[in-house]
Amino acid sequence: MKNMNVTCNDRDRIFEDGTLAEWAALEAHATTCPPCAEELGAWKSLSFAAQELRDYTESPALWPRIERALAEEAERKTLRAERRGWFSFFRNIPIGWQTVAASAFVLVLTISAGWFYLHPPRNGQPGDQSLLKSKALKEVESAETTYVQAIDKLAAEAKRQLDNPATPLLANYHEKLLVLDSAIADLRAQAGMNPSNAQLRQQLLAMYQEKQHTLEEVLETKQ
Amino acid sequence: MGTMGLALPWKARISSTPRERGTRVEPSEHFAGGHHPAVVDAPSEDAALAAACRSGDLRAYERLYAMHGARMKNLARNVLGNPIDAEDAVQETFLKVHRSIASFRGQSSFITWTYRILINTCYDARRSRLRKKEVANEDSEETPRHEPRAPGAHPALRMALERALAKLTQHQRDVFLLYEVEGFRHAEIAGMLELTETASKNTLFQAKKNLRLMLEPPRSSAAEAR
Repeated sequence: MKNMNVTCNDRDRIFEDGTLAEWAALEAHATTCPPCAEELGAWKSLSFAAQELRDYTESPALWPRIERALAEEAERKTLRAERRGWFSFFRNIPIGWQTVAASAFVLVLTISAGWFYLHPPRNGQPGDQSLLKSKALKEVESAETTYVQAIDKLAAEAKRQLDNPATPLLANYHEKLLVLDSAIADLRAQAGMNPSNAQLRQQLLAMYQEKQHTLEEVLETKQ
Repeated sequence: MGTMGLALPWKARISSTPRERGTRVEPSEHFAGGHHPAVVDAPSEDAALAAACRSGDLRAYERLYAMHGARMKNLARNVLGNPIDAEDAVQETFLKVHRSIASFRGQSSFITWTYRILINTCYDARRSRLRKKEVANEDSEETPRHEPRAPGAHPALRMALERALAKLTQHQRDVFLLYEVEGFRHAEIAGMLELTETASKNTLFQAKKNLRLMLEPPRSSAAEAR
């Protein structure tokens, strides 16, 4: 390789972005230039000192910890995907059919709740336990689940409008829905403790109907 | 003008020290030390590892850890100052990689992308620590608390360097750590810190210049030492 001439003025440039040949030339220049020799030594010393910050000691507990966290994360991911798959079934049903399902549910719920209202269970009678497991109650619960999912679909459609209400009316609807949701949550908790209480079921039904109407009004506003 | 005057135990300085640990003193892109076997991963290997991680194969993550875990922890430790926070940051990085691997499109190498996540995770951890400090009404200045580590050959040198590094700008410190300590190339650092290769070189130059000034003893004491 042909010898390259460098001067003290080239030093910083070579430190910053010099080629191999330039570094070799600087080394050669430093043998006869004490200031450059000192600078070069200091520059290299920093690289040497940096090695003191390198500590690749094994951490035996770290990988098992990460592995556990990854496995838990993977499990959560799978559960989320399964849940999404289940709800996507409802999303694929046309809105008309959802309305029909919701109406059917309301009908079943009304009949069931009426039946319970007209035939209240008598405490202490042996028939109480069978009433809790009755087919009607299962139907009510199943219909309620479908109805709630249909309402949730409506709520999802109206969400964007409600999150950023363009008019005071929409803001009012938003507040009303928040109140309804809170009341529904309370009633659901009570109904969970006493599933055969027809009065609670009726109140819950009324709340759901109100929520449905409110959401329909919101969606109509959109149209 | 004999010896250079850094205020550090420099007896074992460069020329007399064999580079068994691969000091980076030569031009950046002509580095031939190979001090770490995983500094440069073959592109095909990198892509294969990314694909395996994307498929959710835990063994792929284990391989990533085997190849880079120690280096990731070392980098996190140097940024955060203690091994506990560093281990948390590495774990969080693996979880983030797992969560967002579907969005990795291969614009950079998988390893570069992983280190970028690690660095951001470290920044987040530091910010969160700072917020906690502020809430606790303590000193709000964020200075990494460096806890003892495995004894090196020159503990005084290490401590002096850690103190000096804490005074650099965040970018200068990161580039110095990635290049001089972890042995990455400027092209890789550019990908990790989202800057240009030239900027990475210039930042390293500025960092070393500042460190040199901070670690140099006053001229008078240097003269006395001679």
